[in-house]
Amino acid sequence: MSTPPRPDLAVAGGSDGRPLDPRAVRVSLAPSSARAALAPLVLEPPEFPAVAVARVVDGGPVEARLVRLDHERALLLGTGPDGARERVLLLPPAHAPGTDRSVVRHEVVVNGWRVEVEVEAAARAVLRERARRGRGVAGQSGPIEVRAIIPGVVVSVSAMAGDAVTAGQQLLVVEAMKMQNELRAPWDGMIERVAVGPGETVEVGDVLIVIA
Amino acid sequence: MATSRSEPAPAESLRKDAHGDPPFRTVLIANRGEIAVRLIRACHEMGMVAVAVYSDADASAAHVRLADRAVRLGPPPPTESYLRIDAVVQAALDTGAQAIHPGYGFLAERASFARAVEEAGLVFVGPSSETIDALGDKLHARRTARSVGVEAVPGTLEPAVLDRPDHLDRIVAEAERIGFPLLVKAAAGGGGRGMRRVAASVELHAALVWGSREAESAFGDGSVYLEREISPARHIEVQLLGDVRGRVVALGERDCSLQRRHQKLVEEAPAPGLTAEDRRDLHERAVRVATAAGLRNAATAEFLRAPDGAFYFLEVNTRLQVEHGVTELVTGLDIVREQFLLAAGRPLSEAALAAAARAAEPAGHAIEVRLSAEDPGRDFAPSPGRVLRWTMPAGPGVRVDTAISAGDRIPAEYDNLIAKIMVYAGNRDAAIDRLRTALDETEIAGIQTTLPFHRFVSRDATFRAADLSTGWVGEHWDGPGAYAQAAHSAQLAAGLAALEAAMASGDANVPATPSRTPTRPTRGGRWHASGLERAQDRWPR
Repeated sequence: MSTPPRPDLAVAGGSDGRPLDPRAVRVSLAPSSARAALAPLVLEPPEFPAVAVARVVDGGPVEARLVRLDHERALLLGTGPDGARERVLLLPPAHAPGTDRSVVRHEVVVNGWRVEVEVEAAARAVLRERARRGRGVAGQSGPIEVRAIIPGVVVSVSAMAGDAVTAGQQLLVVEAMKMQNELRAPWDGMIERVAVGPGETVEVGDVLIVIA
Repeated sequence: MATSRSEPAPAESLRKDAHGDPPFRTVLIANRGEIAVRLIRACHEMGMVAVAVYSDADASAAHVRLADRAVRLGPPPPTESYLRIDAVVQAALDTGAQAIHPGYGFLAERASFARAVEEAGLVFVGPSSETIDALGDKLHARRTARSVGVEAVPGTLEPAVLDRPDHLDRIVAEAERIGFPLLVKAAAGGGGRGMRRVAASVELHAALVWGSREAESAFGDGSVYLEREISPARHIEVQLLGDVRGRVVALGERDCSLQRRHQKLVEEAPAPGLTAEDRRDLHERAVRVATAAGLRNAATAEFLRAPDGAFYFLEVNTRLQVEHGVTELVTGLDIVREQFLLAAGRPLSEAALAAAARAAEPAGHAIEVRLSAEDPGRDFAPSPGRVLRWTMPAGPGVRVDTAISAGDRIPAEYDNLIAKIMVYAGNRDAAIDRLRTALDETEIAGIQTTLPFHRFVSRDATFRAADLSTGWVGEHWDGPGAYAQAAHSAQLAAGLAALEAAMASGDANVPATPSRTPTRPTRGGRWHASGLERAQDRWPR
């Protein structure tokens, strides 16, 4: 029949030490959506634009194509072994808060799921990672901030600064949409600070309690 | 206190309807959201003036825009707005309303509200305050059922006393008699609020205190009682209508087994797998309880069906149910319209009696899914926010009841139901196919909703096989797994879109600057040049 469709964009996951294509991009889940432990995805243009096979380093061959239906809707084709076809909604990008302007945040809706992703140049991400490693991994042993995952009103706080808590112990109750949601200690530790009190309204990401 | 916006009602809205005069001239709708919109529509169809009430969070909400008049109640918290009995009744008096329809939730099942409405010389569209007392209080309802020989779920018949430590032993003894696991339930409850599952007696006291506190917060009444947990069970309920002459009929039953945290997610009518005989038996029991309680208007009797097929009476909801729409689709009856006629003292209509006569042998099948602002990947945690995109399905046999449009903010203060998507078809299989198609058309962005869960249900083989129980969601739904898959696809899609831009500019360091310029595919543009147009023609259909 007619000439086959251009292999629009192919995907390479990971890095095999080969220099990155300057056009490569890196996509990670934004903090608000990082519930699934998914590694950042690095995408490179196909080596031979005429052939629809991606250069793949780890995780097995991934081949995908994005067919735009309008300025927001698109079809993601052939992402699975069965050549799945998913409708996606790509909302206009915005700059990710708290980063320089090189990181762009998108809301993407796939199969009814709302996922926020951050996109940046892969080369830039490599530099950033290197710089971060250079500063050393000092964190981790410091105090842990427990943050609100839903907005609502604090109903009660059952821990005080100085209390020793064990993992799973109830710390406070947040009411949202008339449901009472218990917030439990993620691990054993000492309450360093309680940042909210009963009756206070909290937004997603607000620090509730700091556990040392 | 109340500021009001009013416009003269168009004269034509006061015309007579086909059944005679409108039952009321003006009706106040004491609710918000999709149900307020549904009620206002019925008012307008019947030639009645509709008055809305609203909190500051809803000043520009759909129900306020659609109503002929609107009265502000107060700040967003329900206790300072939609739950203020005095303010709601005053708003009705100020606007010359003769009747108040409470919808569901908020004040719908408060006998004190119905009484205040009655005492103000207005008509409460729903059962009388005595009936609400008798049936809305679940303990009273359980006693009523027992008095007419309808078997209720085993449990206590009096509220648990919590402020007297010496009563604790007695509660524990009763719990041991009922058997664990059991449920702590709010006497004034509904929608699972104030309800806690108790697996052993050590958890009992904490569960009672917790349930009582949540019940107090949600209903203003902290009474709780104990009930045996029947598991696995199907949740089947019967839609009832009663008139002032004391005649009560059943319009049919609904299966609402798919629930999480005792909140319904999917409802259908009729309940699959019942024989006409089962239906008649069930409907008859429901009518018996409602007749004993003197039902005048609409109510729903809920039952649990044990694995052996036995029905246990659960409770009666003395209000319009969220899921009344599926019964409307199957019977062709407008239940809200019937409510207004019954409230005005008219006898059960011909249409209602005809629907009741067919109730045991229903024609066709309807399914409703409750689209909520909840995250089905995080145990259905609330996810309020702003809706950025909103495309609802349409087409033959599809009904969507909603008050949302793109750009609306879903307030955290209220119920998280944002739309009811209903389908109707000749049989259950066809209805499921229609549901799947409708949900595939649905597009929402900006907030996480239960849409992924509903799409899963519409494709699931056990749902199609009507293998239903109240534990279905926990047994079949893997939210985090489904989310992870979608998140991977989202990464890919966003990456491919960015790569497209990087390939065009030759460098990914010049990110596609956030811009509003739509890259609309136009003939002769990039769309054409890329060959995508041909690709589109080649998709497998």
